[in-house]
Amino acid sequence: MMASIDQHKEGKKDVTFRVFRFNPQVDSKPYFDDYTIPVERGVTVLRSLNYIKEHIDGSVSFRAFCQAGICGSCGMRVNGLSQLACTTQVWDVLAKSREPEVIKVEPLRNLPLIKDLIVDMDPLVDKMKHYSNWVDSIMPEAQMGKKEFLISEEEFLRYDKATDCILCASCVSECSILRANKEYVSPAVLLKSYRMNVDSRDSLHDHRLAALVQDHGVWDCTHCYRCQESCVKSIPIMDAIHGIREDAIECRGKKDTSGSKHAEAFMSDIEKKGKLVEATLPIRTNGVVWTLQNLLPMAMKMIMKRRTPPPPPLVKSAKGIKVFREMFREMTEHVKQDHKSHKK
Amino acid sequence: MKRYAYYLSCINESMTKEVDRSIELWQNDFGIEFVKLHEGTCCGGSNLEYVSPKHFALVNGRNIALAEKMGLDLIVSCNTCLMTIRTAKKALDESPALKKEINDILKKEGLEYRGTSEVRHLLWVLVDDVGLDTIRQKVKVPLKNYRIAPFYGCHILRPSTVLGHDNPVDPTSLDQLIEALGGQTIPYKHKNRCCGFHTLLVAEQESLNVAAEALQEAIESKADFIVTPCPLCHTSLDGYQAKALKNAGVESSIPVFHISEMIGLALGYSAKQLGIKRHIVS
Repeated sequence: MMASIDQHKEGKKDVTFRVFRFNPQVDSKPYFDDYTIPVERGVTVLRSLNYIKEHIDGSVSFRAFCQAGICGSCGMRVNGLSQLACTTQVWDVLAKSREPEVIKVEPLRNLPLIKDLIVDMDPLVDKMKHYSNWVDSIMPEAQMGKKEFLISEEEFLRYDKATDCILCASCVSECSILRANKEYVSPAVLLKSYRMNVDSRDSLHDHRLAALVQDHGVWDCTHCYRCQESCVKSIPIMDAIHGIREDAIECRGKKDTSGSKHAEAFMSDIEKKGKLVEATLPIRTNGVVWTLQNLLPMAMKMIMKRRTPPPPPLVKSAKGIKVFREMFREMTEHVKQDHKSHKK
Repeated sequence: MKRYAYYLSCINESMTKEVDRSIELWQNDFGIEFVKLHEGTCCGGSNLEYVSPKHFALVNGRNIALAEKMGLDLIVSCNTCLMTIRTAKKALDESPALKKEINDILKKEGLEYRGTSEVRHLLWVLVDDVGLDTIRQKVKVPLKNYRIAPFYGCHILRPSTVLGHDNPVDPTSLDQLIEALGGQTIPYKHKNRCCGFHTLLVAEQESLNVAAEALQEAIESKADFIVTPCPLCHTSLDGYQAKALKNAGVESSIPVFHISEMIGLALGYSAKQLGIKRHIVS
């Protein structure tokens, strides 16, 4: 007891790292190994893992390079949360740790496991390729190197934050929809697509957007904000996802997907009644056939429980709807003006 | 009697009417009064902000301005409405130009968004204003025999830059409420995870998988029921439960309660009074 108080004063204590282990060539199932090492205040999780590898068990496998939060190689789950091992302070983790002086280290989720803390990034790279996440210049090749691309500050600010992404895949690991279906585009890929699509030097906008609105694309995001919350660079990833959706709806008229129809139903209901007309939302999103096939058994149960939303004529408008509608339409004129001046 | 402006969420006026019904039953017991905001409109359900960011600011700036006119904080009992209205508030507070633009329009109705009213969740009012001690004192039927899985839902926690009440990694307010009512919370990994609601009509299979995982953990942990502060999470976990579990090959079920119903039960109101029989899973 005395020893630990002294250690605390000196900013040094024994910490147990509970490390996920699995070598698919040897092990039938994953397990955890405990390594207890002395750690000084200011030491990161990555430095601790390096210490373990050098002094205790050389077989512990993890990926790391820059040790400065730049390269994005050392993404892993530390006490359940996806983050970079190199920028995560041991003492900060211990302050929130449920089990005193124990830190659990596991590989990222939602990507195939290679060994121990190393995951296979290839599925993410493949998706980057699928959604053409690179700039394909609008400048004819003959002019390359002869003419400058001038980018306004306004345009730069639109993708400035998105360019901070270091592809560490923490957001990929935390994504709710990817957990449910590995085909889903992934937050990091959407962020990159957004960054490319708002770049005026790029010529692939329409091609990319057409892929993004397909199945497993931008409309499958369920707005859980786990990606944004875990981003090691504090990038507002949901703003990028919303940006792609706004683009799909407003600018390019790609209104033929269930996702955009669903979103637009909110806008039109609010304008008409100030309230959402829930009863017809499934039909307006997916059509009558889908609704009958998918929701009829549940609708029957809801009728039995008197839980069905009221039919459209019985949805009461919000009080004062007339003035509200006028104001709503006035804003519609503002938006039209904004679009005009934006196009100029 | 402390008064609050109460935002009427679309879903609580249609599918989950039991939420507002149960709050009406017990609000006086805690010395609080929720004044219904009948002029309020749909917040946009976390969709309007990208369909039209400016309409989004107008609609929710107006919702808040209605509460400000009454000099009251705006209380919300749906997570998504909470997150959505707070997002608009943040945008308006950070942009004088946007604030001016919507205020010029709001003049038509004699309204002005000033940024003086807070936008808070019902759960936060209970824990912070009513207080856990008062809640404990009012309990007539402690929930002591129940093992309860606390499902917070996303939009009461994330984004933390907009919400900021609980730690999104390890939230505690709902656990505290359950314990004050005499119940036992169980360790529940899905407490801060997603229910899948927002993609039920767009990516149904994925949403059902998300819901099934949360339900399965509660069932395997031998919880007696799940409780949630969000009517959308309730709809996903209760309304879609049979479909989600069948899909996942699980032959079991678990009741899901709103916090307002759980409080009502502990205060001695009957399941019938609270509208619990309206749930799909009994």
